[in-house]
Amino acid sequence: MTMKYFFLKRIVEIIVIFFVIMTLFFLLFHFAPGDPVSRMVDPSMTHEDAAYMISQLGLDQPLFTRYGIYIKNFFQGNFGNSFHYGEPVIQIIGDRLPNTILLFTTSIVLSAFAGIFLGRITAWHKGKLIDTLGTILALVCHTLFLPWAALLIIWVFGYQIGWFPLGGILSPELWIQPETGYVAKALDVLYHMVLPLFTLCIIHFGSYMLIMRSSMLEVIGEDYILTARAKGLSNRQICNRHVAPNASLPVVTSVGLSLAFSVNGGALTEIIFSWPGIGRELIFAVTNNDYPLALASFLFISIVVLVSNFIVDIVYTYLDPRIQY
Amino acid sequence: MALKKTYLQQARHRWLSVKAGPYLAFFWQNPIGKWGVLLLITFGLMALASFFPPLIDPMYHPMTGVDPNISNVTPPAWNHWLGTDYMGRDLFSQLLTGARVAFMVGVSAAFMSIVFGTLVGMTAGYSGKLIDTLLMRAADMIMLLPTLLVVLLLSSFIGQLSIWTIVMLIAVFRWPGVARVIRSQTLSIKEKPFIDAARVAGASHFRILFRHILPNVLPMALLFMTFRVTSAIILEAVLAFLGFGDPGTVSWGMMLQWVWKTGNMFQAPYWLFPPGICISLITLSFYMIGRAMEEILDPRLRKEKIED
Amino acid sequence: MAEKRACLKVSACVLLIFLSAVMLMSCTGRKNEKNFLKIAVSEEPESFNIWLASDANSRKMLSLIYQPLYIRDPEELDLIPWLASSDPVYFPEDLSYTVSLRQVKWSNGSDLTSSDVVFTINLIKAFQVPRFISKWRFVKKVEAVDKHTVRFYLEEPKAVFLTRSLGVPIVSQKEWEAVAEKAIHSEKPYKTLINHKIEIPLGCGPFVLKEKRQGAYLYFKKNPFFFGENQTIKGHTLGPYIDRLLFKVYRSADVAILALKKGSVDYYWSGIQPGHMKGLTRHKKIDVFVSKKSAFYYMGFNVRKPPFSDPHLRRAMAVLIDKQFIVSLILQGFATQMTSVVPKGNGFWHNPDLPDYGCGLSRAERIKKAYHMLSSKGYTWEDPPVNQNNEIVSPSPIRLPHGRPMEAFTILTPPAGYDPHRAACGTMIQEWFKDLGLPAQSRPMSFGALLNTVKARHEFDTLIFGYGRLSLDPDYLRSFFHSNNDKSRGWNMSGYKNSEFDRLANASLAAMDKFERQKLIWEMQEIILRDLPYLPLYNPALIEAVNNTAFSGWVEMVGGIGNIWSLCCVKHQGVVP
Repeated sequence: MTMKYFFLKRIVEIIVIFFVIMTLFFLLFHFAPGDPVSRMVDPSMTHEDAAYMISQLGLDQPLFTRYGIYIKNFFQGNFGNSFHYGEPVIQIIGDRLPNTILLFTTSIVLSAFAGIFLGRITAWHKGKLIDTLGTILALVCHTLFLPWAALLIIWVFGYQIGWFPLGGILSPELWIQPETGYVAKALDVLYHMVLPLFTLCIIHFGSYMLIMRSSMLEVIGEDYILTARAKGLSNRQICNRHVAPNASLPVVTSVGLSLAFSVNGGALTEIIFSWPGIGRELIFAVTNNDYPLALASFLFISIVVLVSNFIVDIVYTYLDPRIQY
Repeated sequence: MALKKTYLQQARHRWLSVKAGPYLAFFWQNPIGKWGVLLLITFGLMALASFFPPLIDPMYHPMTGVDPNISNVTPPAWNHWLGTDYMGRDLFSQLLTGARVAFMVGVSAAFMSIVFGTLVGMTAGYSGKLIDTLLMRAADMIMLLPTLLVVLLLSSFIGQLSIWTIVMLIAVFRWPGVARVIRSQTLSIKEKPFIDAARVAGASHFRILFRHILPNVLPMALLFMTFRVTSAIILEAVLAFLGFGDPGTVSWGMMLQWVWKTGNMFQAPYWLFPPGICISLITLSFYMIGRAMEEILDPRLRKEKIED
Repeated sequence: MAEKRACLKVSACVLLIFLSAVMLMSCTGRKNEKNFLKIAVSEEPESFNIWLASDANSRKMLSLIYQPLYIRDPEELDLIPWLASSDPVYFPEDLSYTVSLRQVKWSNGSDLTSSDVVFTINLIKAFQVPRFISKWRFVKKVEAVDKHTVRFYLEEPKAVFLTRSLGVPIVSQKEWEAVAEKAIHSEKPYKTLINHKIEIPLGCGPFVLKEKRQGAYLYFKKNPFFFGENQTIKGHTLGPYIDRLLFKVYRSADVAILALKKGSVDYYWSGIQPGHMKGLTRHKKIDVFVSKKSAFYYMGFNVRKPPFSDPHLRRAMAVLIDKQFIVSLILQGFATQMTSVVPKGNGFWHNPDLPDYGCGLSRAERIKKAYHMLSSKGYTWEDPPVNQNNEIVSPSPIRLPHGRPMEAFTILTPPAGYDPHRAACGTMIQEWFKDLGLPAQSRPMSFGALLNTVKARHEFDTLIFGYGRLSLDPDYLRSFFHSNNDKSRGWNMSGYKNSEFDRLANASLAAMDKFERQKLIWEMQEIILRDLPYLPLYNPALIEAVNNTAFSGWVEMVGGIGNIWSLCCVKHQGVVP
């Protein structure tokens, strides 16, 4: 009963938060200086022409009218057309999002595996040289400045050694040939993913490794590990069967939340690797006053994060029966 | 000789234990903490040293000093230890100034977000009920916003990008995490007998909050400060690199932006490497200190994910 | 144990897949085909809807598809017939121009007729398409005389009709008629028009869009019906000699240049920063082109409010600004100093003898000159920048003629990410102003906010701004300085008002004689350089690079080698590596 009440309360909270955010963003964009017309720096365009364009885009309406339209359109699932692309923003987001999710979720999963693996080793050898070195390596990788590291990696592997493409998500030369099959296309995308994945994993495995290591140390201190030792199990068995599975829970939670945030993409990664994702699109929309696109993307991100927070809460209650509300 | 050494060791040990408490001593035993502190001291010295080059000659001014004999990117030389950028400005003095700016941005943004987060967290945890719900939901809301994008949006609002605007914006978006942890700490402290005792003795809410609860959550707040410093430094660097920094201020992010945007990225390694390495090392040093502090303060806190 | 074995298997599989992928890619990647040109671009075009597209990349691609009646030739920059078969014929009696068309086919094989031209102009007028309407508002009527003749009736004589209006790209009536019909009856006609999605635009240019994949590439094929094929126009025998054209998106210039060096692309269609020059010129496979640009970068003053309403102050500020420094250091020599608001490259319209404030002076001489200029007009200092011994000293803040100290003011610039040079100029100019006790503060502002502050609200002191693509016709002088345009969102951002200038500007618009108009334009430049609402600073050069292994024959022009002439003329060298 209490749990049901708790979840109901959470759902109501989520809806309220979402509407507050929606209104907040609307106000932000309404009062933000600049408009899509100002980007058209053509001296032959007169102020009358500019005003006409503003009125055509509906930007001259008073605040409340626009807010009413915005709320009405939201419930109709209509987010308007991008000022710059002229296409419905849903379509733009739908185009870019799969690319972003492909790259970023893969990188999160891969780096979580790497982090769990290394965290297990370092925690098991706590205080030894391998632990110190491992921790320092993780920290150093984690603190690399992403664009800097990414450009260097492109320069070395893409240009000097030349094993991998310099950027982009696919080889146009291959894709324009009608006879190219799906397998070849999939492999091609995979091949283009190598460098950005490598960069993202290097930078992100550190945080997972540190979480895993701490969590391992905590579990090692628990009574049941002592029991296992008393039973005469080997070190390897204790580590693999008893410590590691229990210790990976916090990593899994953290991965869950990162996955939700992966819909943000990463503007820097996407720019440097020419990856056609949502992150750069958002920066573009925000800095060029493409309100419909920016608003819809922000709302979308909020929904995903809110819902996944909620899911993590639910999952937690099932995983850990000790949690009570 | 040997005697003198022991004496010195003793003296140092005494100083550490008496003046700075056992924490520092622990730092010294923990290799990660030790290296973190050493690195940080190096950067501190760099920041201090940044005041000197412009005094030697105006051409060493990091922003406006131009070597009259140079009109292009030049490699390291005796009068320019790290070489010069495309306008003939000294890269070494830019690097030193970068350290100062990094400290300034990191510490002030972190300090502000910590102060705000601690206040909110304590208030929420202590008062409970409606205020708690309101404050925490506000924190949730800010946590789910994409920080970089909202900072960009707000900076277009303010229009003029200065380093202090950036600091303020970073502070505004980095408090909720602190507030959450401080709140849960406050919740557990609130149940302790000494709080009840204070209340019975007639202490006001204000007094209980600041005299009894604050000292107990302060170490945690300080620990968070180390993480916030790094996130502020990185966020400033990212903003600068994307071209939304304050061009009137020489930060490492700006240096990287200049080398990138002017097309010298792969032509001038002496320009590309130092700022990149410095950003990594300074964040590294704060992380290391944070890790070491964490082990002293509360082994249960390890679940806190490093933010980026 | 079993777990570990499974783990090994999986990793072996992944490794195998990657290896095979690498091998596959290296096979296909190396294959270099003849007559297949690959161009890198920094962004993909935002839209193929010509009425919406206003970004540089859309313009580049659309210029290969939609063609105008007249085009500028690469050498003399004169307007020459393109879709038209000859120069327009003018009848002064009824103020009409008659244009006859070539035998042109759309890329689907149908004929381009005069009704397409009439339709295009009527569409612009009906929807008031903001980018084109100002060039067509004074045209009373357009009529199709016969299938290949069009006549335009003007309300009053306008010089810009020939130079600007006739450069409008022509669209196909078939493609747009239904769309326009539907849009004109909607609530927001123009909005409906620009939100119409064009997948494959129908044009008559040398190339046809074949396929595009968002964020990755755009693939064009040669237009089999291109009217210019094998024709020799102004000494250029047009092809196109390439069968296939591929645009690849590289979002970072560094990576695009690496791709150019590696040979993955033949040309990077975007300006390159001077910093890359050293690396590019050293490379054997790279040819670098440095072209002139029709651009104009300046410092503007808000002359609506004191103290910037005082021309003496503006002139003294002009003396303090060292254009030589800006050009040789900030722009690394890839620019020319501007002495007038019309670029030097625009030879016919550029007025060569105008006052150049402080040209060739040293730092100290500049400070002294500016000091004398201002002190003779009543400006004072507690500690003047020049002491009794005629030495330069650090001054106290300047006091205005009425005795009050000058308030701190800002120099607005775009952010460094948008244009590193202008931001750097702002910082240097701020220091130069401080030498005279002028409390300047350089401030970058995000571009949208900057335009809003300056153009819509007029709340600024000074700014550094520029136009990267000025038209060759100097009509923009009127837009920038005519008092009619001193309105919110108008182009007269300075708020400059001068009835003498207005008179000349109106006269120049109507002047149909080229030389008469030149005289007026020169006079207008003189007035501007005297009053200095804008101080012209520099005109950057455009650096571009091509990979010379496969293709040659690029046509240089003001505005770079990325033009329709190049793409019609560039040829494979015949050696397939």
